[in-house]
Amino acid sequence: MISREEIEHLASLARIELREGEVESLQKDITDILAYVGQVESVVGGAAEPVLPMHHNVLRADTLRASDDQLAGKEAPVRAAFPKQENGYNVVRKIIQKDE
Amino acid sequence: MEQSLAQLSITEAAKKMQAGEITSVDLTRACLVEIQKRNASLNAYLEVFDDAEERAKAADARRAQGESGALLGIPLAIKDNILIEGRVASASSKMLENYTATYDATVIKKLKDAGVVFLGRTNMDEFALGGSTENSAFGVTKNPRDERRVAGGTSGGSAAAVAAHMALGALGSDTGGSVRNPASFCGVVGLKPTYGAVSRMGLMAAVSSFDQVGPLTKTVADAELLFEALRGQDPLDSTSAPSNQYAKRTLRKKIGVPRHLLAEGVDAGVRAAFDQTLAEMEKQGFEVVEVTLPSLSFALAAYYITNFAEVSSNLSRFDGVRYGLSQKGDSLFADYAKSRGEGFGAEARRRIMLGTYVLSAGYYDAYYGKATAARAQLTAELSAVLESVDAIATPTMPSPAFVIGEKSDPLSMYVADIFTVTANLTGNPAISVPMREVSAGEAKLPVGIQFIAAHGDESALFALGAVVESISTVRSE
Repeated sequence: MISREEIEHLASLARIELREGEVESLQKDITDILAYVGQVESVVGGAAEPVLPMHHNVLRADTLRASDDQLAGKEAPVRAAFPKQENGYNVVRKIIQKDE
Repeated sequence: MEQSLAQLSITEAAKKMQAGEITSVDLTRACLVEIQKRNASLNAYLEVFDDAEERAKAADARRAQGESGALLGIPLAIKDNILIEGRVASASSKMLENYTATYDATVIKKLKDAGVVFLGRTNMDEFALGGSTENSAFGVTKNPRDERRVAGGTSGGSAAAVAAHMALGALGSDTGGSVRNPASFCGVVGLKPTYGAVSRMGLMAAVSSFDQVGPLTKTVADAELLFEALRGQDPLDSTSAPSNQYAKRTLRKKIGVPRHLLAEGVDAGVRAAFDQTLAEMEKQGFEVVEVTLPSLSFALAAYYITNFAEVSSNLSRFDGVRYGLSQKGDSLFADYAKSRGEGFGAEARRRIMLGTYVLSAGYYDAYYGKATAARAQLTAELSAVLESVDAIATPTMPSPAFVIGEKSDPLSMYVADIFTVTANLTGNPAISVPMREVSAGEAKLPVGIQFIAAHGDESALFALGAVVESISTVRSE
């Protein structure tokens, strides 16, 4: 079974604060699910040539986007969704701090 | 139920409106009456829009001005992960409970231009992760046929709304069967278009290499009508593609069945319904042949590895910094961890953890690398088989709608997607059409048949779907 430490490490990598008792239930669920999906181990050979429609390169002209699409002029509502704002700026926590 | 205008199909309603027999306001009110009657117990809609009648009036005014589009004035329900400007779009998550969409999804823009009336936003599994709408942060959606049972998922609210005549049709999204699964459980038609056929601009991303927007409707003709309105390349979605990249095909009246996949795990009633439906199709001149797709045995595993990987990447955008639930801790790390820990429900947290695992250095090749190989092999096998048949047929789901709470173990829920995930892995179009009713306990429940066609060949699905519809014994409510 996947260890408690591994679950805690994954939660830290995923930036998720787990709830009471969740480590234990995840140990069981993740072990079971990994055992099931692990059957891909016996897949032989690599990926074939890329197939449509999933794999095709897409480029666009290096020009300004059309001003008449549904994204035009939506700055105000985007700002309104900021959790905390000042004068239209998104206020975020200071990221670079001096090490003590 | 007394005859109500809400029972009409989109095609029938459009005809009546064009003939001047009814108005969009009549239709919209009829749907609102059904919503009033049943939504409190079914929980199909999370919100019913207060401007539906107003929109219906506007549609009627457009018709009075001489417009005559087939969708003009048609009331539809919209899944809660598709953005409608100015409306809350929560993806049934606490994370976005108070998030208001800042722009219209391209599919919404198209439907607005066509004059569609939006009735409300429908319940779903949080961020489209699940198969029963039990993972919604806002309560389960019940099956209109038997309220002890699930409506399916993840587009459960949309399917239930259509089945209970609370809308004439609906939009859902399909990542691993999320349109077809609830369509089968609720007795309606559900289409997952070819990958790239319909723009995903404004659809919240779950698994970007699988997601497609698709219609849920009462009839195959309605599904085709909506698909035609939704399809098309979109400069705002670089994964959308023109439809003319595929060779045109003609119907051979030949259906392939991967019998090796049906050998176990399929409910006896579903199996009998499937066999009877194929036998009926044979009487109508269709040839049914056995096909073998060796990589199908890896489909579910490859699907879920890819799902976990892409979900963990896509959901990393929810960090409490720009929008959505934002919680403060005592450090930047704690801000993220608290916001995400509280904002995401149990299944989202589990899949993010699993995605983080399968993408970590040291495990990447064993899981994601192998899944990618299996996926490419399956795509090649399916394309080869579809050279000689119109479509692959399977039941849509291995069972009829199950009882709420019955599948408490996540793996047992995943395994129910056995027939639907293939089309998402390979990008092929697929449809679920109600075929028969089967007994489950005291209930008689509808079940669907699924067809998977070649890339770009939705027309084969509509042709086959129409045949099933003509022999189906599923009656509408």
